Amino acid sequence: MSEPLLVRLGRIDRRWIFLAMALSIIVPMLLKVRFPEIPQPMARATFEAIERVPEGSRVLIAFDYDPASQGELQPMANAIVHHCASRGHKMVFMTLWPFGGPLAERTIDDILLAYHPGYKYGVDYAELGFQPGNEGVVKLMSTNIPKQFPTDKRGTPLAQVPLLADLADTTGFKLVVSISAGYPGAKEWVQYANGPAPEAFTFVSGTTGVQAAQLLPYYPAQMEGMLLAVKGAAEYETIVEEKYPPPQHPERIGDGRVRMGPQLVAHVLMIVLIVLGNLSMAAGRTRGGMR
Amino acid sequence: MNPTTPHAPKRPTYRLLWISIAVLFASVFAFRTAIAAQDPAADPAAVRSSWEVLGVWVAAFLTLGIFSFLYKDNPLYKVCESLFVGTSAAYYMVNAFWTSLVPKLIAPLAPGFTKAYLLPDFIPSGEPWAALALALVPLALGVLLLCRLLPKAGWISVWTLAFIIGTTAGMRLTASIESDIMAQAAAASQPLYAVDPQTHSIDWATMLAGVVGVVGVLSVLTYFFFSVEHKGAVGATARLGIWFLMITFGASFGLTVMGRITLLSQRFEFLFKDWLGIL
Repeated sequence: MSEPLLVRLGRIDRRWIFLAMALSIIVPMLLKVRFPEIPQPMARATFEAIERVPEGSRVLIAFDYDPASQGELQPMANAIVHHCASRGHKMVFMTLWPFGGPLAERTIDDILLAYHPGYKYGVDYAELGFQPGNEGVVKLMSTNIPKQFPTDKRGTPLAQVPLLADLADTTGFKLVVSISAGYPGAKEWVQYANGPAPEAFTFVSGTTGVQAAQLLPYYPAQMEGMLLAVKGAAEYETIVEEKYPPPQHPERIGDGRVRMGPQLVAHVLMIVLIVLGNLSMAAGRTRGGMR
Repeated sequence: MNPTTPHAPKRPTYRLLWISIAVLFASVFAFRTAIAAQDPAADPAAVRSSWEVLGVWVAAFLTLGIFSFLYKDNPLYKVCESLFVGTSAAYYMVNAFWTSLVPKLIAPLAPGFTKAYLLPDFIPSGEPWAALALALVPLALGVLLLCRLLPKAGWISVWTLAFIIGTTAGMRLTASIESDIMAQAAAASQPLYAVDPQTHSIDWATMLAGVVGVVGVLSVLTYFFFSVEHKGAVGATARLGIWFLMITFGASFGLTVMGRITLLSQRFEFLFKDWLGIL
């Protein structure tokens, strides 16, 4: 007696599933499928936390990720930098990850200087670059930034960079943003910078899906805002674009929403596969039991 | 064939894979050439330098090489994987040399040499002897750690390991107690009665979130409390804790799936936009 289709489905060559998953992403991507993003409380809280910081404040943006997480985190990095620049904040860029430096530089070129050409290095923004030491860097920055970063990324002593000249420690920032893919990242900023001085500055983070569950307990008490993976980025982009529409190249503040179209179709496929897999297993068991 | 000779295992062939990749690349090259000939401005390569175009083709080749593993394990995948591991290791080594060894060790030990040959922008410390003395500590610990390579002196490296473990534990202990225990306990201790500050009415959503939070924390803590047998009320609370844990793991899995799909989506975006130029 031939097996029912449902039972045979459980033994399908997994390469068909890979192909289906690829198509579920490629087809909506080529058809440019978009869905409206309704900003959820966490994305709103992140936006409002940055809005509450007085205009023209000095803020620190840490690019704590590498190209492997760029797909998830770059959209929110672009939107955050544009948002901060639209508020006239003076931005200081740094990274705890060796590969994070080039990503920060690209964001400065593609977003900050492209959308806000008036920004001048040393006055309106500066780069501290990368320092090895993981959480040790954050800990020392919370007490003595010039000791941790004697010079900026270009080799200029901090005292000669107008934006950084009077910077003593992390309490010199009104806002700290960690765009984080793991260790070291947002958790270390909470533990070593925000923990000892919770009232000194506003702390928000953007995180990958993998790390999100680990960081959720810190929101909202120790982290005023949090962007959860590409979904959080898409919602945040929507709010930022509504209030601060990009002057040109609007697609650069839109990668999160672009990636949410294929995301939805792929999720539906995955749910269908999980249901089918369970039904197939149940059918196989029933059939085995009947024998 | 000698009937007594055992059959040699059949070597896998990858002819279909090689032909597919060759046809794909030839087609893309022809397609891009045709596009460029028809409308040079529409060709994304028009705004790129030759090196950037080469980089895009190499990246596309490596991306497809990694994807080829989904069909089956093959030499192309192994080459791409080895390239990735090799370049990553090399980048980390060079990075560690220029960001750790040179500025933190060699510079304080030999400031003149560093400025002359390694870092022209290097600014010597105002207290060179203090910097030298401080640099000798990591130098000594580093040498001790390298003793691990000597068969008879390997035990010496445990001193450095003890230093690393001790300082790491000491540093993390205070931070964990402050941020992960005290602050989290305070955050979990929310009033169960909440009023909306704008409408002055009862905020049912916040109240429900508070109750779920408290019940979740207590039941999960009960599940991990093994000094009492999980029977009766304790057992029921522990089982509720399992539900909370399972929901947490489910949410975590869902977020991980979202992350992985985004990565795949970004790779396809690269292939269709930067390489094929059709997005």
